[in-house]
Amino acid sequence: MSPEATDFLYPFIEGDERDSVSLLADLSASAEAKWAHSERLRQETLARCDDQLATIGEAMARRFEAGGQLFAFGNGGSATDADDVAQVFTRPPRGEPLPARSLVTDHAVLTALSNDIGFDVVFSRQLEAHGGPDDIAVGLSTSGNSENLLVAFRQAAKRGMLTVGLAGYDGGQMARCDELQHCLVVRSDSVHRIQESQAALIHALWSAVQSEYQAKGAA
Amino acid sequence: MTLTHADTGAAGAGGDGPYEQGLTEDLARAALALARRFHAGGTMWCASPSWTFHAHHVAVEFVHPVIMGKRALPAVVVPPGADLVASLRATVRPGDMVVVVAGTAPSDPGGADVAEVMRRGPAWGVETVWIGAGTRPPAGAADHVLWLGTDDPLVASEQFVRIYHLLWELTHVCFEHSGLLQPDLCEEEVCITCSDEGRTAEVVAVDQGGDAVVRTAEGRERIDVSLIDPPRPGDLVLVHAGSAIASLEEGRS
Repeated sequence: MSPEATDFLYPFIEGDERDSVSLLADLSASAEAKWAHSERLRQETLARCDDQLATIGEAMARRFEAGGQLFAFGNGGSATDADDVAQVFTRPPRGEPLPARSLVTDHAVLTALSNDIGFDVVFSRQLEAHGGPDDIAVGLSTSGNSENLLVAFRQAAKRGMLTVGLAGYDGGQMARCDELQHCLVVRSDSVHRIQESQAALIHALWSAVQSEYQAKGAA
Repeated sequence: MTLTHADTGAAGAGGDGPYEQGLTEDLARAALALARRFHAGGTMWCASPSWTFHAHHVAVEFVHPVIMGKRALPAVVVPPGADLVASLRATVRPGDMVVVVAGTAPSDPGGADVAEVMRRGPAWGVETVWIGAGTRPPAGAADHVLWLGTDDPLVASEQFVRIYHLLWELTHVCFEHSGLLQPDLCEEEVCITCSDEGRTAEVVAVDQGGDAVVRTAEGRERIDVSLIDPPRPGDLVLVHAGSAIASLEEGRS
């Protein structure tokens, strides 16, 4: 993988540099370029995933209507994205709150499973305890290769859950995982830019579910 | 790794981001300030009353960078649900940093506590960064205000991720400029050498005899508070030459 080096823009400068004006101008220009890059990637990703989002939104809405709940999980920054998923569904800025939980918030469960069995099962074991056939598993990764997500998707499929993944790069192993029904991929090789577009995908997915779910509720 | 998409090239002409004028300049200044604090041994405290996950994302970004080879930096999440002011008061040390993701009150209920933390920054000796959206806090509310104009909470939340990713990226660029990691000479608004000092202090305890123990960026000290109305613990006062010359609580509830 090509490193997203911060080194490439800036030549090594001797330790006697004292005037921060030119550095600040460079940093600002770099931030502006990266912001524009991120915005373009977001728009491209949402446009490319438009049909997929509608399909997944509809499938998720059916599960919620049947009384199902959503479980979200991921590692590191993607763990915080899982929390974002749980928050936007349960405490939406508009529309109806829907049952969703993040599987990364309970430190007793996470450390018990990691210590007793291994980190690969931290999500699958929780799905084994909580997941049912009306439920939804949403796993987030930037590489698409996190072992504990792949194990969780297999467990979720076994339990009849709807499986949804968010990945980056070329989708990694998640894109080739038979047990994963839907995989939304942000086509970038920068972890930061992937996460920024995944945040937009999370909210677009929530929006798709909301409009579909409300349409049924009004009928 | 196979890439089917070419988003790896250099970004084109910028400016299509709907952020407020001056955000990237503010980001640059904040990044240099953070790099200097980290370089001097400071710890970054992260909080977000309404979006706890953002605080966790900021902290993990600095502790365990996604780019291999970048150094791990001390960043900590303030326990969510805690009294933000009390929690930080107990743990921060002079030289630390406080980075908060929050709107302003009343649209963000956590905004009032955040404003209180930021106000105490000078007395605690911490550099404050306030990332938020909606109604911008008043000038001087924090050392660095990184603000978005949007009122849509989901758009704001997505763009916060960009802001703190860029903050991390730019901070690490600053580490490559070792000569700039020392603070600028005489960057303070008031020069200590000519004794024209006016330092913000937080009252720790008040004695019966008109003295008080206060906390400033330089540590604890005993000052005379007989020139002002008797302060209460937690009040902010302005200290000049060993005396409190003004309360910073007037007009506040």
